[in-house]
This record gives sequence, structure tokens and C-alpha cells, in this order.
Amino acid sequence: MQASRARLFKEYKEVQREKSVDPDIQLVCDDSNIFKWTALIKGPSETPYEGGVFQLAFAIPEQYPLLPPQVRFLTKIFHPNVHFKTGEICLDILKNAWSPAWTLQSVCRAIIALMAHPEPDSPLNCDSGNLLRSGDIRGYQSMARMYTRLAAMPKKG
Amino acid sequence: MESDYDTQDASDTESMEDDFYSEETVVRDGEDEGEDEGKYGFSDNESDDSDVIVSERLQQNYTVLDETDIRQRQEDDIRSLSMVLSTSRVHACLLLRHFNWSVSKVHEEWFADEESVRRAVGLLGKQVEMPNVAELLCGICFEVHPRTAMSSAACGHPFCDSCWRGYIGTAVTNGPGCLMLRCPDPSCSAAIGQDMIDMLAIDEDKQKYSHYLLRSFIENNRKTKWCPAPGCEFAIDFVMGSGSYDVSCNCSHSFCWNCTEEAHRPVECSTVAKWILKNSAESENMNWILANSKPCPKCKRPIEKNQGCMHITCTPPCKHEFCWLCLGSWIEHGERTGGFYACNRYEAAKEEGVYDESERRREMAKNSLERYTHYYERWATNQRSRQKALAQLHNIQTEKLEKLSKIQCQPESQLKFIIEAMLQVVECRRVLKWTYAYGYYLPEHEHAKRQFFEYLQGEAEAGLERLHQCAEKELRVYLEAEVPMKEFADFRVKLAGLTSVTRNYFQNLVQALESGLEDVGPNRQTNSSKSSSSKNISSKNSPGNSPKSSTTTNNFDNYWYCERCTFANPSSNQACEMCEHRRH
Repeated sequence: MQASRARLFKEYKEVQREKSVDPDIQLVCDDSNIFKWTALIKGPSETPYEGGVFQLAFAIPEQYPLLPPQVRFLTKIFHPNVHFKTGEICLDILKNAWSPAWTLQSVCRAIIALMAHPEPDSPLNCDSGNLLRSGDIRGYQSMARMYTRLAAMPKKG
Repeated sequence: MESDYDTQDASDTESMEDDFYSEETVVRDGEDEGEDEGKYGFSDNESDDSDVIVSERLQQNYTVLDETDIRQRQEDDIRSLSMVLSTSRVHACLLLRHFNWSVSKVHEEWFADEESVRRAVGLLGKQVEMPNVAELLCGICFEVHPRTAMSSAACGHPFCDSCWRGYIGTAVTNGPGCLMLRCPDPSCSAAIGQDMIDMLAIDEDKQKYSHYLLRSFIENNRKTKWCPAPGCEFAIDFVMGSGSYDVSCNCSHSFCWNCTEEAHRPVECSTVAKWILKNSAESENMNWILANSKPCPKCKRPIEKNQGCMHITCTPPCKHEFCWLCLGSWIEHGERTGGFYACNRYEAAKEEGVYDESERRREMAKNSLERYTHYYERWATNQRSRQKALAQLHNIQTEKLEKLSKIQCQPESQLKFIIEAMLQVVECRRVLKWTYAYGYYLPEHEHAKRQFFEYLQGEAEAGLERLHQCAEKELRVYLEAEVPMKEFADFRVKLAGLTSVTRNYFQNLVQALESGLEDVGPNRQTNSSKSSSSKNISSKNSPGNSPKSSTTTNNFDNYWYCERCTFANPSSNQACEMCEHRRH
């Protein structure tokens, strides 16, 4: 408990210092609970998520960093490896390939990379996975872009 | 004890059994001085011997190992490998673990491509030291520590000792996967060996790790298995492809090497598995497991899918990747199976009715519940009788034999025939028990076989009752009062004779059942000596003609036992009265 708190505090300070360094990630710690974080990440360019801002929720276990944080999308997203309803993410480093040397920041980076390079072979969102795997890139992109517009962009007007 | 065997002598059997079991007070004694009756798979309990005990069984195709033996063998393998490859003990251990403790496999792979083996196992060519500065940053807690309070694997990535402790502790808690631990740095694959564990972990984790290492040596090795008896810590080293699967552990538990259920000759493993699944007292749990989980196609552990995609990766050390729908290997999946989500293989197979089969079987089982109850009751009754016979055996060994020895003025070594008779009873109960599972799965439409089988079973039952009666009731007379020497000698001859006749009968029964009752199959061959033997005993050795009647003469020495059908013939006969087999 104490070790995870100390480590999270380190990360908190690092985030404050690094804020300007990585403009695509904005990590915020809950005011009252250091084990709850949220992040805003920008959809990577040249993907259907470009221009969108996606919110992630982190629930951090007491054994962190020996155990991985639980992360899910709060913003609706159409992506083969993200559950369409719950926002659950299928990413190896959040499950069995976790290493305590990873940080919340590096998890965000890994998620951005996953957005740009979906893994249709292990789909959580089968519709999205099937579109990609059947080679219907346009179909996938337009669906993903539509949901980015609907859910991840500020409403016009 | 209610029994209702469908045999001609059902009533006979019943009354005897009542007498046998209702009056006997069972005295259990902690000390077990079981006779080692090798041939029949009973063994004693003298487990204080730490040496490797090569079982003196009919087929010496296995060895019982205790923890000291296992550690010794493991250590020998590690040491000899580290000499051959001139590498450290720790590296040899990691290599052996990786290749499932097969020394020859390590040799083969290592000398074929050392570089790729090193990569796969995580053995770096040379040690990289941590940066030589006074203070270093720990990659886990991000604190700065003096270099002396930090450690690294061969890769030189520094972490503080407290983080190491936590890292190892988490891995050990997660199970035997900790034997394949790597450096915490995500980009590094340097293996963490037992030396690091011993240096950095808390004592409890060190012990667990060492225990996992020991278990791995038995469990990942195809030639060894743990004895499945609860609390038993022996393992069995089995020589493949040699004779029967029945093994007998030093803890006195007999089991089948192949399926690790209790010894079950003459019934096949698959039948036993079906039967046990059926009997499972926790049938509710079983239903849940069947409905909600599937076994990993490789390691067979049940897996519950509670989230995620159809691409399942089993937990280490198995790590098998497969498709949840068709349970096929994930490697075979791709475009041609119709997408990763809707697995065509499953849909196609479903249409062909492959999966319907199990559904249909379940339905049928429901309908035949009554039939099942019939067989189950008899199976369970024999199971209980066997337990009681075992208890009686203990009682005789610990108490009665001494008493009898005093009353009849005979040395105990001369009374061994009583123990042999009881051991035979125990073994016969076991066989008889399994014949009920056999009968349950004997196809209904094979009338001839069913009839023949039930006849054999009935005879077996009657023969066993005869032996049991003699060993139990008649013995009691000699326990109570001194009788003339002659009478006791007659009793000895009778009991020893019954024991040997029953033993032969059951051996033939087991053989007949194992050969699938080929006598009455469509290709019946009456002249084949092996198959006809079982038929002959069964049809001729009926209670009326059996050696029971010879008790009137009270002398077995004047008889010879037919090799083929076990019938006791007067010594004047040159051929068997029953089957006309010539005397040898």
C-alpha cells in the first residue's frame, strides 16, 4: 500500500513536469484518491480517431506496480480491441505481459499505439474486427470516424 | 446390506453377506503390517525406508520415489548437464525446466543451435554489471538507492531489493509460472534463476519456489506422476509400454498409471472416467463446470471464459493458444475459418452433428437413470464390502493372528494362508466392483454377451462368497477353542484351496473381460485356448461341482487343478473331468 502510494506520487510529479513534453496525453489524478486516475488522449493522426479526444479511466490496485492498473475507455469508441459497451481493452501488457517497470504514462502510449494499429485477430468488438479482417478498410474507417465524431468531438454550435 | 444380484444363487449370496458384515466389530489399528502380496497389487506401509524401493511385482515396470529420491534425481540431472555444457548449475536448471526435464532434448537443441536456445530460455552470454556509480534509480519504485542495496539479473538492469522481493513474491503467488520468471524490464528477457530467488525473496517464497521446482520435475516429465492418494507425497516413475498400467504406491494406494484413478482392471480407463463422472457426488458442481467451462485442449484444466475474445491463452506453464468455439489450435485460425469471431470449423462441425453427440448422450443418460441406479448400488456395495474386508484384514493381522497362533500352537508364519485368503477377498471385491461399471456400459443390444457376462459375474460372486465365508466364519471356530490338529490342518487345506481357485477364476474373468468377451462375439472361436479358458471355467465351475463339495473329503492334496478351467480333479484322472484338458 505504502509502496504503491509512493510510486504513484512519483508518477504524479513526473506527469506535472512532463506535461508539455507529450501533448497527446493528459493524465489527471483524482483529487481525493491517488488510486483513481483519468486520462485524456488524442486520437492519433492519419487514423479514423484523428481529431477526437478519448477519456480513459484507471483503477489502480493496491499492489501496483506489481499488478497492472485496470483501464477502460469512458468515451465510446469503435475499435476491434475495445469492448463497444463497457470500454474494456484487450491489450497484453494490461494482462499477462505486464511489467512493473511500465507506468501509467507508458500505458497511455501503448493504448494510443493500439488505436493506430488494431489487432483484429483478438477482437473484443467482433463487428469491427470482422470488417477489418474481411478487408473492408473503408467500412471500418467510416464506422470508426462516425463514432469519433459522435462521441469524441465537442458538439458544434 | 441389501444385495440383489441377478444370479441363480442370489438368495444364497444374500444371506451369507448378511452374516459376514453385520456381526463383525471392526477394529482399526494405526499400525499397518500388511503383507506384501506382490502379485495382487497390495503393498505394505513401511514407508520409513528412504531408499528407492523397486517393487517386487509381477511386472517391475515402475519405481516408487520419495521426496529425497526426487531431489536426488533432479540434482543429478542438473549436475550432469552443467558438466556436459560447462555452464552454471542455475543455467542447467533453467534449461532443463524449459525442455521439460528431458536431458536428451536439451542436448539435441543446445548443440543444434545454442544461440536460439539461449534466446528462448533467456540466458545471456555474459554477465552485464550494473552501472558503476554510487547511487542508482530503481526501475520499479523510481527511488534512488545506493548501489549496494540494488541487484540485477545477468542483464544489469538495476532494481532495489525491496522491489525484487515484491516482484518475485507476486510471481510465486501466481503459481508455477514463476519458474519462468524474467527481468522486470519490459524490453529484457533475461531469465531469473533460483540463485536470484534465494538471494532476494522472503523465506516463504523461497520454499514455494523450491516446491514448484520439485513439482515441475514430476509433473512436466512424461515418465513420472504423483501418487493421487490424498496427502501422499510419493511419485511413481513408470516404464512406458510394459505390461499393465496398475501400480501400487508405498502408501498402499493402488492406482492406474494411465488415468490415475484407483486400479480398475479389467475395465478400461475411458469407462472408468465415464463412470466416475457419473458418480461424482458433487454432480451439481460438475454440472456447473460442464456448462460454464471447457477444458484446455492441451493441459485439460477447466477454463471459464468470463471476458475477452475467442482467442484464449491458457495460463502458464501451458500457454496453449486456442479458439474457444472449436477448441482448435489458434494457429489454424485465419481467414479460411471464416473470421476469428465466427469460427466456421465450429459451425460446420455443429451442422455435421459432431457436437450433438454429447448432447444426445446426456439426454439418454437421463432416461436410463433407473438402469444406472441398479448398477451403481451394486458397485457401491462392493466398494463398501471391500473397505470392510480391508478392515478385517487389519484386524486379523494385528490381533487375531496372534491369538490364533497361541490357541492352535502354530507359529504365525504358518498362518499366512489366512492373510492370503483375505488379500484375495479384497482384490476380488475390487474386480467385482468394476464389473458393474463394465456391465453398465456393455451395449444393451448384445444379448449374448450380456447374458454371458451376467453369468460370469454371478459365478464370480458366488465363488467369492464361498471364500469369504470360509475365511471369516469358519475361522471363528478355531479362534475360540482348541481343536484337534487334524481338523485345523483340514481347514488350512480347504481355505488355501479356495483361495487359489478363486484367484484363478478371477484372473480368468479379468482376462475374459479385457478381451471384450470375444467368446460370444460374432467370430466365436471355441478352439482358441485363451478365449475358451474363460468360457470353460465359467460354465463348468458351478457351485455344485466346485471344490466346495470336496470339503467332505477334506483333503486337497489328492487333487490337481486343471490349468485351463481350475477344476479340482481327483489325482487318478489324467484329463479334466470338466473341460477334458489334459493333465500336465
